[in-house]
Amino acid sequence: MDYFMSVLIPMVEGLGVTLSVFAITLVASIPLGFAFTLMARSRIKIVKGFAEVYIYILRGTPLLLQLLFVYFGLPLIPGIGPFLTFNRFPAACIAFGLNYAAYFAEIFRGGLLAIDKGQYEAAKVLGLTKAQTMIRVVIPQMIRVCLPSVSNETITLVKDTALVTIIGVAEVLHYAKAAVNRDGNTFAFLVAAGIYLIINFFITLVFKKLEKKYDF
Amino acid sequence: MNQVIKVTNLNKSFEDNHVLKDISFEVNQGDVVAVIGSSGSGKSTLLRCLIDLEKADGGTITMDGQDLLRDGNFAPPAKTREIIGKMGMVFQHFNLFPHLTVRQNLELAPKIVRKQDTGAMVKHTGALLGKVGLEDKIDAMPGTLSGGEKQRVAIARALMMEPDILLFDEPTSALDPELTGEVLNVMQELAEEHMTMVVVTHEMGFARSVANKVLFMDGGIILEEGTPEAIFEHPKSERTKEFLQSITRKE
Ligand SMILES: Nc1ncnc2c1ncn2[C@@H]1O[C@H](COP(=O)(O)OP(=O)(O)OP(=O)(O)O)[C@@H](O)[C@H]1O
Ligand SMILES: [Mg+2]
Repeated sequence: MDYFMSVLIPMVEGLGVTLSVFAITLVASIPLGFAFTLMARSRIKIVKGFAEVYIYILRGTPLLLQLLFVYFGLPLIPGIGPFLTFNRFPAACIAFGLNYAAYFAEIFRGGLLAIDKGQYEAAKVLGLTKAQTMIRVVIPQMIRVCLPSVSNETITLVKDTALVTIIGVAEVLHYAKAAVNRDGNTFAFLVAAGIYLIINFFITLVFKKLEKKYDF
Repeated sequence: MNQVIKVTNLNKSFEDNHVLKDISFEVNQGDVVAVIGSSGSGKSTLLRCLIDLEKADGGTITMDGQDLLRDGNFAPPAKTREIIGKMGMVFQHFNLFPHLTVRQNLELAPKIVRKQDTGAMVKHTGALLGKVGLEDKIDAMPGTLSGGEKQRVAIARALMMEPDILLFDEPTSALDPELTGEVLNVMQELAEEHMTMVVVTHEMGFARSVANKVLFMDGGIILEEGTPEAIFEHPKSERTKEFLQSITRKE
């Protein structure tokens, strides 16, 4: 029991960092992703092209590579490098936020495609503006369509936060690895696994609730 | 008589498919115009051009003396909104907002477009749902309603914006035959209250007994136009006769 506590207590500190990376990424990448969705549907070619290329690159390369690029790569760019130098934690959040925005953009794009053209037409003949139609009619229906995929992506995000240990951010896995190396047994890995499972248990619960709420 | 819609030489193509060919007609205040014709003749496209869901290529559309389209030039967006704001439209597939209750479906536009105050709006909602016979469904979700009920809600929703003109595109075509009556009854009541309506329909009974004017469309033109009597009892053209025969055979 004492050993369990000695492994767990530092990990709780790491848990705070894990949850911070998770929460900041989620809060930043959902609106950013939706912005990319709208850009990818834009009639302005250059805007549309930019969004499509962005989504393609960020989804087509490893998140780990992107993480290393933001932390180690950006500062090395001649000229602007010094302005793109971030500490470990912000670098992790930036890489994750940008990456997940691309995934969410793709999810939302699919969600919008699922909405019947008749919904836009009904809103138009009732006098709603384009913005009112988006906010009052389209987005609520898009949310319902997207919830299962968003739920999936969110669970993946929890697990992906473990990657930030590579640039030295002291999250759950960072402490687990330290304990395993120090004590020569795998117990700390099991504790870490338990922590991720508990987080995802609550996330699944929240999305079940949301899906019920958006079940019309 | 007060003219509310005047269409002159309206043309519309989808790529090289010339769908509306020099269409001209007029609608007077209180008219119930039935637009009939075979599939693909351009009925829906015509209706959709009137309310800016399709952009015509040429011609003139005047509503209540204001030009939505003048010789192929569109009114500016703000003017267009104002002009089409005088019309309501009822669709074949209802297009209710599935995430909103019946009440919210009715009240969404008055609330956010008209910024109407709640007291007056709530009364209006109750009155219109009463009119279509659905007071008890006020808190229902659209998904729980029958097709006929959905279409009656859609009519009430259009009426909430107090339109001068109501457009219907095959309002009963998606319904089971036994549910068309309840929708047609509501439409007949509106006609009796002198609501101006343009109705694309395959319901010849409705066209004959409720409309005061019938347009028969064929291949993108209005081939024949007249009172129901003239069209149904004394059709002039062979095509009209053929169409009426084929449709009565089906019925
Ligand atoms: N959005 C569109 N894009 C391309 N072609 C279209 C479009 N809408 C209609 N058409 C074509 O225009 C022609 C007229 O169609 P429209 O829907 O107006 O006919 P309709 O008389 O309403 O027929 P129905 O009785 O089947 O509803 C058809 O050939 C159709 O394929
Ligand atoms: Mg049609």
